[in-house]
Amino acid sequence: MTRPSSLLRVAALALLAVFVTAPHLFAFAFEPLTENEAPAIYNQGSLLSLTLSHLVTVFGATLASTAVAVLLGVFVTRPSGLEFLPLSRSLVHIGQTFPPIAVLAIAVPLVGFGAKPTLIALFLYGLLPIFENTLTGLTQVSPLTLEAAKGMGMSPRRRLFEVELPLALPVILAGVRLSVVINLGTATIGSTVAAKGLGEVIIAGLQSNNTAFILQGGLVVALLAVLIHDGLMTVERAAARKLGGFAGVS
Amino acid sequence: MASSRKGFRLDRLGGVIAVLIGLALFAAPFATYRANRIVSGEPRMLLDALPPGLASGVLAAALAVAVMAATLRAAPVRLAAAGLGFAAVAPAMGMAALFLTPEGNTFARVSPAFGFWLLMLAFGLLVADSLTRLRLGPWGRLAALGVAAAFVALLLLSGAWSGLSIIKEYAARSDSFWREAGQHLLLALGSLSAALLVGLPTGLLCHRLPRLRSGTLQVLNVVQTVPSIALFGILMVPLGYLAATVPLAAALGIRGIGAAPALVALFLYSLLPIVANTVVGLGQVPAAVVEAARGMGLSPRQRLLQVELPLALPVILAGVRIVLVQNLGLATVAALIGGGGFGTFVFQGIGQTAIDLVLLGAIPTVALAFAAAVVLDAAIELANGTSHD
Amino acid sequence: MIEIERLTKRYGNSTVVDGVTMRVEEGSIAVVVGTSGAGKSTLLRMINRLIEPTSGRVLIDGQDTMSVPEDELRHRIGYVIQGYGLFPHRTVAENIATVPRLLGWNRKRIADRVEELLDLYQLDPAEFANKYPHELSGGQQQRVGVARALAARPALLLMDEPFGALDPVIRAKAQDDLLAIQRRLGTTIVLVTHDMEEAFHLGDRIAVMDQARLLQYAPPAELLTRPAEAFVERLVGSAERPFRLLSLSTVRDATEPGPASGEPIEASANLREALSRLVWCGRDALPVAGADGAVMGRVSIDGILRFGRPSR
Repeated sequence: MTRPSSLLRVAALALLAVFVTAPHLFAFAFEPLTENEAPAIYNQGSLLSLTLSHLVTVFGATLASTAVAVLLGVFVTRPSGLEFLPLSRSLVHIGQTFPPIAVLAIAVPLVGFGAKPTLIALFLYGLLPIFENTLTGLTQVSPLTLEAAKGMGMSPRRRLFEVELPLALPVILAGVRLSVVINLGTATIGSTVAAKGLGEVIIAGLQSNNTAFILQGGLVVALLAVLIHDGLMTVERAAARKLGGFAGVS
Repeated sequence: MASSRKGFRLDRLGGVIAVLIGLALFAAPFATYRANRIVSGEPRMLLDALPPGLASGVLAAALAVAVMAATLRAAPVRLAAAGLGFAAVAPAMGMAALFLTPEGNTFARVSPAFGFWLLMLAFGLLVADSLTRLRLGPWGRLAALGVAAAFVALLLLSGAWSGLSIIKEYAARSDSFWREAGQHLLLALGSLSAALLVGLPTGLLCHRLPRLRSGTLQVLNVVQTVPSIALFGILMVPLGYLAATVPLAAALGIRGIGAAPALVALFLYSLLPIVANTVVGLGQVPAAVVEAARGMGLSPRQRLLQVELPLALPVILAGVRIVLVQNLGLATVAALIGGGGFGTFVFQGIGQTAIDLVLLGAIPTVALAFAAAVVLDAAIELANGTSHD
Repeated sequence: MIEIERLTKRYGNSTVVDGVTMRVEEGSIAVVVGTSGAGKSTLLRMINRLIEPTSGRVLIDGQDTMSVPEDELRHRIGYVIQGYGLFPHRTVAENIATVPRLLGWNRKRIADRVEELLDLYQLDPAEFANKYPHELSGGQQQRVGVARALAARPALLLMDEPFGALDPVIRAKAQDDLLAIQRRLGTTIVLVTHDMEEAFHLGDRIAVMDQARLLQYAPPAELLTRPAEAFVERLVGSAERPFRLLSLSTVRDATEPGPASGEPIEASANLREALSRLVWCGRDALPVAGADGAVMGRVSIDGILRFGRPSR
């Protein structure tokens, strides 16, 4: 982590913060893109509250996915759940070919419009990368380490919490990062089914043919995604560093 | 592995599947009846959705599958059981549509309901489990895909499902369906081809010049992180500007809205997996093999084409798999900016709250992505087989 | 004292350990040798119940191991494996503190114990306590592995190829360290290896296993002079035999009165080393010096060679 890159991060974060709290300061940049006196800055709601509800949707869903996926991952790697392990692997492999948008589209007929189908789609799709990485992380813990833990008289519960999960943590975190990034995108599309989020700005731009809206919506979403990805990557690196190098599972 | 213990033993996964089947049969509606395509539907249980004789036949077949799943452990038997389930329940859905639609009523719609989907899920799980246990080789899996495709094609072509709402949606727009299908494939495959043309040389360059590597991959990583609709939106501005100022660009069909930004965005998304996997693939070619090739007097070009690329092929193909599956899904979003594809039906359907129209777009998308994944997984395995022999 | 009685392990139709009976005295080192797949590791792992025996039993100081909950049993038995299995996410100090923590020792007592062990293993606590395993050399990892096993002062230490991953120079040093520490703490050790040299160097008694059976369990010299079966004879190496035998006796045993010229040899050196010195410097005899440096006699080639034969 070099100085210029962390400077760039801070600058990007500051820019994003200023933009969503006081977008009017930037009106001059978007005016050339508008036609027929259309507004240059999104005026159908506060960017800040849209950003916040976008984040709440994404992180709420991911949190739930993480809890469920890690529990499932732990279950199928215990002796009692081991017979489900091969099938689980095939299912996550198959499941991830499902386009996240299709999950969203199919959720609408089941639960109707609004935040619900988006949350369901994010939750369901978010399960897959986290579950897969939990499996990978837990099954790649060195058998030597486990043998030593057992040999010293650690109970299965202690082995799980003090050895297996900490060692699998970087890989699990990589799964969480993948889920969050995918979910940020899916949540944006969620605006087409009336979920509150930053997609609204882009959709509004598309409907009113206002390129300025499309661009600012796109930029805010993009910047948010890149910053969150970067932040999660940093956490992951920190978790991996003391284990002797960055696992680098992406 | 000699678990030759005699006696009855419940299979736990089979038990779960049996419970799912039970729930689907007795606690969930089999079909939804609607007076027209956009009103909300009324649920119909299996026994009300079919003539009594047929209903009890389907019920018996599904229960038989449940019992077999729970008690029989041999994978081929379980696969056959799942086949029986599909063969009994899938055509029955079409019959239910005919049975529930009043004679001569052209507005009424019948769609599969939760119970039907739960049955499909249960049988699908059984298939996935038996195929996993059978450890099919690549050809076996391709054959399984072919059988599944043939089964669906048979149901579609025979007209067994023609009473279903989703087929009626299709019939109402069969021309545009195939046009959008073509557009969908064009978006996904066109961007993939472009990404291969650009990505393979870039990957090679990054492999040869390590200084270039981390920078290139970082930039592509950032691009990959940007959500699709945001990237589409961002690209609309420069492409629109290009179309407005360069007549040639406009003449080539480049516009701010439509397929062009979608194609460019999908292309950009495709670059990371292609470049990264090319770098990794070339990087993992054993140094000793390259050294040996050099020792035998192969020219750099011959080394690349005869040694390095063939050995890197499985990893590069894995990148192609990621790209193809991802693009087939993302191409759906292109419809939002007028780029066409199956997304057209999805977003139209959402707009009209016509559920079956949504499915008309979503189901082919899922099927395509799934088929692409199976085919490329098989290709990867075959490439692996040849490069390791 | 450990008493192993008719210990047997079967998987399906194959017997991995077949009715092994042996007894390891308090404070001694028993080395189990044999080809790979002979059942050595399984035997060892049945002592701390990482593998449950099919039949037979193990008594530690007269107590049947089956009468103790398995985790509690393992808290009392040190265990070192090849590759050590250090916890990569924990520092050296945390690794060593594992069992004391499981036993609920207080913080102060744990810290003192960790420091004591690091000192014992010549690892400067200030430098090493907060390092992670991947920052250590192979030899350092090995020492941490043994220190971790000794942390809760177990009376019994089980070691499965503990030096297998070390290069020859470090291995010899690690073996000497283990001997020194074992003499000091009086720990009983059962060690599994396939390296005969190591077995003769460390073992008070050596158990030879082949195809699940214990062929012979005897002091090293007896193994050389009276091998119970042809396999034992082959394993101890017919060509190596005299030299192994020599390495079991010290110069002190072969010291005879009389003068000799040249650099004196220490009385504590083994006879194999002494012979090697004599051959190298081309003399028939060398003076012998005690621990205080005073010459106490001489050792001669003829005198040494008598120790390299079975009938003495």
